[in-house]
Amino acid sequence: MAQFWYYVFTLVFFLFDYFILAMGLNIQYGETGVMNFAYIGFVAIGSYVTGAVSLPNSVGTGQQYIFGWNIPFPFNLIMGGIAAMLLAVVVAFIALRRLRTDYLAMVLFALSFVLYDIINNYPRLFNGADGLYNVAEPMTGVFHMSTNSFVIFFSLVTAAISLILWAVMSRITRSPLGRTFRAIRDDADVASALGKGVFRYQLTSMLIGSFFAGIGGGLIIQFGGSFNPSAWLPGETFVVFAVIIVGGVGNNVGLLVGALLVETLLIHLPAFLPDIPGRPGLIEYFSAMVIGIVLMAMLWFRPQGMLPERVRKFPAPAGELLNRDGHSVVAPTPVEAVATTNSAAQVADAHEGNDA
Amino acid sequence: MMTYKDLSTTPAGSEGPILRCEGLTKAFGGVNAVNGATFDVPRNKITALIGPNGAGKTTVVNILSGAMKSDSGTVHLGSTDVTNMDRAKIARLGLMRTFQLSRELGGLSVLENLLVAPKVQAGESIFNIFFRPRLVKREERQNIERATEILRTYGLYDLRDNWARELSGGQKKLLEISRGVMASPSVFLLDEPMAGVNPALIERIGGYILDMKAQGVTVLMIEHNLNVVERICDNVIVLAEGKTLATGKLSELRQNKEVVTAYLGEVINASTGH
Repeated sequence: MAQFWYYVFTLVFFLFDYFILAMGLNIQYGETGVMNFAYIGFVAIGSYVTGAVSLPNSVGTGQQYIFGWNIPFPFNLIMGGIAAMLLAVVVAFIALRRLRTDYLAMVLFALSFVLYDIINNYPRLFNGADGLYNVAEPMTGVFHMSTNSFVIFFSLVTAAISLILWAVMSRITRSPLGRTFRAIRDDADVASALGKGVFRYQLTSMLIGSFFAGIGGGLIIQFGGSFNPSAWLPGETFVVFAVIIVGGVGNNVGLLVGALLVETLLIHLPAFLPDIPGRPGLIEYFSAMVIGIVLMAMLWFRPQGMLPERVRKFPAPAGELLNRDGHSVVAPTPVEAVATTNSAAQVADAHEGNDA
Repeated sequence: MMTYKDLSTTPAGSEGPILRCEGLTKAFGGVNAVNGATFDVPRNKITALIGPNGAGKTTVVNILSGAMKSDSGTVHLGSTDVTNMDRAKIARLGLMRTFQLSRELGGLSVLENLLVAPKVQAGESIFNIFFRPRLVKREERQNIERATEILRTYGLYDLRDNWARELSGGQKKLLEISRGVMASPSVFLLDEPMAGVNPALIERIGGYILDMKAQGVTVLMIEHNLNVVERICDNVIVLAEGKTLATGKLSELRQNKEVVTAYLGEVINASTGH
């Protein structure tokens, strides 16, 4: 029975962790239109830094890594988020200043390979191909938890963190800042013609999204105690893209649905299923195929996702009388109606004035 | 009647032309799209920019608004040199524009298309969103009231909660103009605002442009409809082959042989079917 709950809460952990990751990518891609194909690199940096600052000095540990400051949870997690933001600044100045859309996406994808190769081949940073391990499970000493109870505890901690971050993200996306992000997503030229500094807002969006990526990555290393390059192959970015495309681009609640369907049900649940006799690993390959098929089906038949972005409605100004449909009872002239307005009369006046 | 609040904002200096271009050039490959265009746009007037297709009118508007960099020449907005300045900075100085093909922000509602327009908003700062929420809310309420007023004037009020991408072509034209008005411009560049709209709507758009002038906005509009130009424009600039051919009132330009040969004759022949 204990094993059953271990499985269930492991799925709960990945559900809420990918919810955080999806929110981070969504503000970049879904809200601002920055196709960040290097997203998994930001997750990795968050994970490595969270682990490396929480580990003791590397001397005598059998690992090589920078930091080693014994920083406790959740401060190490915040440092992971900040590290991902610093990477975002560098990436933004390399890629965002001059590039748009598909060119930007290609450069970011290439950057994720560069980052991957550096970390994989330069062990002094984060122990190279072996990655970091023996990262202590947070607060187990305080609450005297077993491994099973830690999984339950930390899944709930992750859920709580994701809900706090969801509240923060909702506040941003509903604000005038979120509106400006969406204006840039729809047409950066128009936004610029309205006086919006496109790079500045894209950078802001990158910073917010990267912080979320760093936190999500940090939670992964805290949950599992280890993190290595096999966990963040550049193609992993597309799993997060799949989450937001299936859930609904631009809809924070849809992202939770996407995380449930893609990450929890299609990726992690099959990992807990017993192997088919004589076909080891077949289920894992099969789940990757199913994700691809689901993604194609969504893009063909429901590109707006399970829960599409909703139009933002605003309360009518004070004193406005509305009918049951929400329309003003003092209806203005419809657009295509025959012109009988004062303005039309002014045109006529102007015409007469010209004749005179 | 709607009042255009804050339209008194003008670039530095209040004398002389509000927009001055000198010797603008722009080449694409070997083709000189703009080839030394020089003209002034008088303050608080409606000026038409006319000329045959390929004369460089839209390229000039693109250069004036910062969407395109000129190869040479200067542009002054009031006393400020805005030559090849970043377009967002030019917009913040009070120069707004519309596009030849309407470019609504389709993923925003009609109301949001207007709410995004004010150039500087407290709610666009992360700090203000979390630490000065009352300021953000107050400003947002004021912007909603003003946007509502503008949408009423432009007959788009009942569509305020629709996606902008769902509007008809004429409605998108109106939305684009009303969005520019919401930004409180001192100079408004309109790229063929009457193109592809029905005659009744042409009348209304003409009225809105006159409203803007009455409120102190300078308008420079590219327009092929000479009836409209004659009725609402104070001044006309004729471009041909990227150069300024003539400036003046349309009635005067009708007597100018060069202008008639380069453009007006063509338009008159087209309208009479010859």
